Parts: sequence; C-alpha cells; structure tokens
Amino acid sequence: MIELKGVTKRFDSFTALDNVDLTVETGTAFGLLGSNGAGKSTILRLLSGIYKQEGGEVLIDGSEVYSRPEVKERVFFINDETIQFGGYTLKALKNFYKGFYPNFSEEIFEKLRDTIKLPLDKKIDTFSKGMKRQAIVIIALACRTDYLLLDEAFDGLDPTMRIIVKRMLVDAMLDRKLTTVISSHNLKEINEVCDSVALIHHGKVLFSRDLDSVKGNIHKIQAVFPEEYTEKEAFPELDVLHFEKSKSVLYLIVRGSEEEIREKLAGKNPVVLDVIPLSLEEIFIYEMEGMGYDVNGIK
Amino acid sequence: MELYHIDLLSRTPIYEQLYKKIVELILKGELKANDRLPSVRELAKELGVNPNTVSKAYNQLENDKVIYTLAGRGSFVSEIKTDSIKDKAMADFDSAASEAMNAGITEEELHGRLTALSAKISEGGNNSDRA
Repeated sequence: MIELKGVTKRFDSFTALDNVDLTVETGTAFGLLGSNGAGKSTILRLLSGIYKQEGGEVLIDGSEVYSRPEVKERVFFINDETIQFGGYTLKALKNFYKGFYPNFSEEIFEKLRDTIKLPLDKKIDTFSKGMKRQAIVIIALACRTDYLLLDEAFDGLDPTMRIIVKRMLVDAMLDRKLTTVISSHNLKEINEVCDSVALIHHGKVLFSRDLDSVKGNIHKIQAVFPEEYTEKEAFPELDVLHFEKSKSVLYLIVRGSEEEIREKLAGKNPVVLDVIPLSLEEIFIYEMEGMGYDVNGIK
Repeated sequence: MELYHIDLLSRTPIYEQLYKKIVELILKGELKANDRLPSVRELAKELGVNPNTVSKAYNQLENDKVIYTLAGRGSFVSEIKTDSIKDKAMADFDSAASEAMNAGITEEELHGRLTALSAKISEGGNNSDRA
C-alpha cells in the first residue's frame, strides 16, 4: 500500500505539493490526473525516492521511501528521463537495472524483446523515441517490482505495445498483486486501466476516488417541467454544479446516482427527464468548476 | 471472446457494461445454463481492461445469482437466473412507464402499446434491444 500523509514538497519558494494525502491500495491501478505543473510527477518522484519531502510522510507498505534501498528495489519508475544511458546497448542497460532489482527475470525480458524485435547490441542512442520507451518498458516489466510508476509512459507507446503492456499488467496484478500509479493526459487509457483516480491541481488533491463511483456519481440532466425554473436555487434538493436553460428545456449537471436524482425530481413532475452519465473529461471539467477553479486552466 | 466486446468509450462504467453484456448474452441464449465464462484474466486481457473491473462485474453477477463460481474451475451461468433478471427488467419497465405517464401518456395508451408490442413479439419479431 502507498500512503502520502500531509506531504509538502517545495522547490525554493515554489510549493509543488501542499499537504497532500493519498492512499493507493495494494494490487490496484491508480491514475493521477491534472494539468502540466499540477504536481503529478513530483508525487511519482517522491514515491521512487528521487525527492525528499519537506513535510509529512511518503510510505510504501509502512516504510519511508527516501534513502531506503530495500524499499526502492520494490519500485520501478518509468519517465522520459529514465533513459540517460544513450551510450549503453540494450543488453548493457538491462544488466545495469538487473543489478538493482533482485526479482529481475531474463525470461520475461527475452520474451518481450523478441515480441517487439528490439536489437540487443545496438546503442540506445540509435533507437527512435518510441523504441527507447519500449526498451525501458520491457526492462521495467522484467524487473518484476511490486510497484510500477508510469509518468506519461503510456502516452508514447504505439497501439501494439500498449496492448502488450496492458496484458502484462493484468498478469502482474493477478499473479503478484502489482500496484501501479499512472500519470496520464489520456483519459481513455486511465478509464480502461485504473481502479481509482485523483485529480491534482496546483499541488493539492482536489479529490481521490474509486473510478466507478466518480463516473456513477455525477450526471447530466435534460428536463422539462410544468413549472418554470430559472436558477439552480430552485433545486435545493439537488447538488447542482451547473445550470443552463434553453427555452423550456433545463440542462443541469448534478451530483448523485441516477436513481437518487430521479427520485428527488419526481416531486416536480417532470414532463421530460433524461439522466445521462458524463464522460470522464466532462466530469473533471465540472468538478473543477464546482470547486471554483478556472476550467480553462486544466486543459 | 468476440461475444464480450463492450464500448470502452461509453460513459457507463466498464463493470456495469460487462454486467449488462453477460445478462444480455444469457437472455439471447448465447450463453446457456452451466456454460463456463472466460476467466477474469482472459477477459481482462482480451478487453485491455483492469482485472479488478472484471472481478467486480463477476462478483455482482454472482451476488445477483446470475452466475456461480467453483473454486479453481471458474465461473458458470446459473440455472435459476430468470428471477433476478426479471426483477431488473421490471424495474426498467417501471421507470420507462412512469416517464411516459409524466409526459402525459395515459394508462389506456400504455395498455394498447403493450398489447401491440406483445402481438409483434409473438409473431416472431425478435426484440433484441431489451436488457
């Protein structure tokens, strides 16, 4: 289990993370969402022991991560800068990581390398950007750590490699309860892969929840009522995030399950009532709006 | 495995889509009593989704007695599954009917509609958009 408790991280006068609490259960996949500079990568760097926090605790299975090799060997962090060894061949790079990760499996490495046909004896410098990512991803999977941190790592993979990685993740989650933390701009990927998500903004966690409850707990309503309502205050029974009116049709964004919303609106005798789930993208925009943040700032 | 394809871009939670998909396959007769379902691993890999999501759908199907699980052997379609499926269908009907009545459709009109619908179904028009 991963726990961040009241974590603060500063860079000089800039506060990158401000009193952040997060919990990631063992054996789940967790998605970090937010704009550039929100603090997602900082969280991943703290979890991989690259950074040390100024306040609070960063715990993996109850142990602080920073300067603890026995914890760090259970965590693999993939990001753009992971490959700094351009002069190495893939074979040398593999051997380098193998030295750090005691669970390394040559068999998995070879199987994956063979699937995607990466050359073993060519220098990483000669690889394309996509091949470099593939290289580090197959090394990461072969290291068989308990924790895998992916910083935008999915985004640069081609569709075939994505399928391979996803299938490997399924096996790892079922066979050894792998825990994954993924930061991504790709909401489709997050939707498919993650159990839970957190929305990070300006170094704070706006919310952290089970993905299904995020999706099932906010709806778009299109309704026509016999009476005329002109403002959201006319619906004190509902948690209305957004109110719009076009002629006689009302468009509302409301928190709550579909059943709950229908039940509460029954008293107003709607003539038409459509309750539609929102896309993940819409959810984040309205949640941010509901918390008073500038929506244009999150894209 | 093609059978189980769901729309990953849909707004409906994936586990809920899977739940509905399996119920639909049973109602359509594509899955019969005691047929084995794919394992969580197989289905998660095929669809490219989180195995916990597939487990969640299976657990809910099991709670609703639509499927049963034998340790080490997998999940299978239950014999007695019609009750829970019928309950769900009735609840869906109730909400559609009350929406219709709220829109000003009378009870008589609904009766007429239902009679016409049932005649159409018994003529052999396979109404597959149910569920």
